[in-house]
Amino acid sequence: MGSLSRWSRPEAFDIAAAGHLLGRAGYGVRSDRLEEAVREGLDRTVERVLSGEKPGEMFRETFRETDALLKTSALEADSIDSLKAWWAFRLTESPHPLEERMTLMWHDHFATSYQKVQSVRMMADQNRLFRREALGRFDRLLLDVARDPAMLVWLDSNLNRKRQPNENFSRELFELFGLGLGNYTEKDIQEAARAFSGWHVRHGRYWFNEAQCDRGSKQVLGKTGAFGGEDVIRVTLEQPACSRLIARRLLEEFVAPGPKPEQVEELAGRLKHHRWQLRPVLGELFRSELFFAERSRGARIKSPIELVVGTFRQLGGTAAYSSMVELTAQLGQDLFQPPSVKGWDGDRGWLNTASMILRLNFASEVTGGRGLGRLGEGAAREMKSAARVDGLTRSIVRRPLIASTRGKIIREVEAAAGADRQRRVAWHMVVSLPEYQLG
Amino acid sequence: MTGRREVLKALAGVGAVSLGGSLPECLSRAIAAPGAVEAGDGRVLVLVRMAGGNDGLNTVVPFTDPLYSKNRPGVGLGRGSLLKLNKSLGFHPAMGGLKGLFDDGRLSVVQGVGYPNPNRSHFRSMDIWESAQPGAETFSDGWLGRVIGRSQFPDNATPAMALGLDQLPLALRGAGLSVPVIKDPAQLKLRPGPAVEARGRAGRDVVRNLAVQTSGGGLQASFVRNLARSAIDVSRRIGDVLTREGETGLPATGLGRRLEAVVRLIEAGLSSRIYFVSLDGFDTHANQQGAHTALLSELSDAVAAFYRRLSQSKIADRVLLATYSEFGRRVKENGSLGTDHGSASQLFVVTPPGRGGIVGAHPSLEDLDDGDLKHHTDFRRVYAMLLERWLKIPALPAVGKGFKPLEIV
Repeated sequence: MGSLSRWSRPEAFDIAAAGHLLGRAGYGVRSDRLEEAVREGLDRTVERVLSGEKPGEMFRETFRETDALLKTSALEADSIDSLKAWWAFRLTESPHPLEERMTLMWHDHFATSYQKVQSVRMMADQNRLFRREALGRFDRLLLDVARDPAMLVWLDSNLNRKRQPNENFSRELFELFGLGLGNYTEKDIQEAARAFSGWHVRHGRYWFNEAQCDRGSKQVLGKTGAFGGEDVIRVTLEQPACSRLIARRLLEEFVAPGPKPEQVEELAGRLKHHRWQLRPVLGELFRSELFFAERSRGARIKSPIELVVGTFRQLGGTAAYSSMVELTAQLGQDLFQPPSVKGWDGDRGWLNTASMILRLNFASEVTGGRGLGRLGEGAAREMKSAARVDGLTRSIVRRPLIASTRGKIIREVEAAAGADRQRRVAWHMVVSLPEYQLG
Repeated sequence: MTGRREVLKALAGVGAVSLGGSLPECLSRAIAAPGAVEAGDGRVLVLVRMAGGNDGLNTVVPFTDPLYSKNRPGVGLGRGSLLKLNKSLGFHPAMGGLKGLFDDGRLSVVQGVGYPNPNRSHFRSMDIWESAQPGAETFSDGWLGRVIGRSQFPDNATPAMALGLDQLPLALRGAGLSVPVIKDPAQLKLRPGPAVEARGRAGRDVVRNLAVQTSGGGLQASFVRNLARSAIDVSRRIGDVLTREGETGLPATGLGRRLEAVVRLIEAGLSSRIYFVSLDGFDTHANQQGAHTALLSELSDAVAAFYRRLSQSKIADRVLLATYSEFGRRVKENGSLGTDHGSASQLFVVTPPGRGGIVGAHPSLEDLDDGDLKHHTDFRRVYAMLLERWLKIPALPAVGKGFKPLEIV
């Protein structure tokens, strides 16, 4: 029995476990939705996570219209900042947060930056491709990424010619996108580059430049033939290192940093079993013993997007999308502009002195109602300070605090006057907890 | 050396410290701990990372070698434009500032630096340089991280600092003491928020107190708590010094601003001994001339102005600056008027006067390793020098056995 076997205690699917699932698979939900999830149970909740929420007609309509409006205006204004704000809107409001989260994961995996691409439309099209395969199939995604105009520009494909092969794409295909270091040779890179020669971009679209295509025989990863790019992608997908690389990525995104080799192996096996389909693989992962294990919970450091989007999703309210993405950029996660083709380092790489202060300042400002939008829905309720703090802790920190820390927070909440003040002080204290940086 | 009184006066003058009030804890420790400053005479090491793989062959040009112009018909630099160092080597024309330091006997050009079995991936090779562990499978800590601990730096709360970076570089990871990473000094100001405002003056420590718990919640939780505490302390201690207005004479470029922050911190008497900054963009695959010129002049102008200012403040002789890049570039230019990833290259060390010069021979342009220059000096010998001969701390944990320190200082 491996660690991906079904969780043996579905009856322990309580508020903390539901918070863990909905925090990881999306960016967290309000406490009333958590209670509903607990009532519905693990299986039904995982199904809803995988297929997205089914909101009412009104919400669907408003979401669709706002989505179209923000995206169209970003494209018409040719403004990458507006495109970032559009994505922040989707991340914060989409009824299918897992789809957005996976879209962002692919953006990190196939890290492409507007900095060099310099086309808002190409970045938007690439984002659409990532969303199309968010819960779709990795094999299709890898092939389509190789012909994606933003990627072609990003990795100099037009310089890859018959007599002057350019290795940029083939190197990253093996090193970062499909295999990982140590699973190929420099010779494989050179040969693969020849196979992709002529995969060019013209007028902003993929263009097979026949004249620059090297049709000679190549030897790539132990296979020989008059390979084209499709063949190299196919051979790459056949390597055991490929499913391991994607399994590792999924485990880091949804379970914890530094997954064990046997966990990687097991999930890689599931990816192959499901023929690269991601939805059933994630369905199994989200119901697994490993996912709900104590050491998996709170084991990840929240990315800036998880922190900022998650705060709005969990506490409710209306966000100012363009300020949100400015903040996440300062925190080290600039959407559509990852630092390099390697993407974001993640985990402890998110945190340093300056970003920690910025995260604490975010807590101050968002809970104080300054900048970034307005937090919370409806009027504040009168409640006992202890109940207020315990409720918040259970749903958004998801683990009990030690008594002295809990006591400090309760004292500060009690010292504040009036329900609204008390609510804000409680938010501020809990969102400032070091533990709130973990998810 | 500046005495405690002078430092206090200087800090009071800029409003960093109120002489009537209490001195922030760590600052007072930094100033009051004579041991921390006297070991190694308060020497400071500034590392400048040239990320992307600097084209060393167009930085220090072996202009008499016919193979140079033969391999570089498009991107090669004309002999007449070079700033000559001797009969066979010349600096790129944008490097007037560094040429001045060379003429003053402060700049060493260490040639042919690299490591065995060079890796041509940016990430891998940078990891190798920063971990100083070429053979490792994975990299968890850095060469400096391994020597920044309580035992090497007693009484020094903040022995190292990274400025202008998004995240802690691998070189500084694994430290027993927390290493601040400061992207933009203006970000260091802590804002109050509802819980603090509700308390008035007494609210100052409310948020810090949430992070004082010393155990529980696992490794990640302890990591975040330690970082939160240290970030709040750093914010209080150096935020004011760094955001100070005033003319230092450093250029308004990215690197200029970062080195300006370093100058201010050294001048303020901070006890940090290692400062890490980075200049990115050296990955010049296509049409490299304009970009490379801009980068080298940013480097050269900022470093020269940095030393001018340090000299004015009479502290230049206790500050050593060293550069490095993850690799040099291929000898033969590519088809896009650029150069591809290579291996061995030179690095620069700025020292007290009288120690500068050319160190080691220029690698042969004929006897190549798969089209790249061969190294003759392992970079770990440079690290060993920086640690043992400059900072006076044992280099063994950083570089391992068998790396004799170079003898520039």
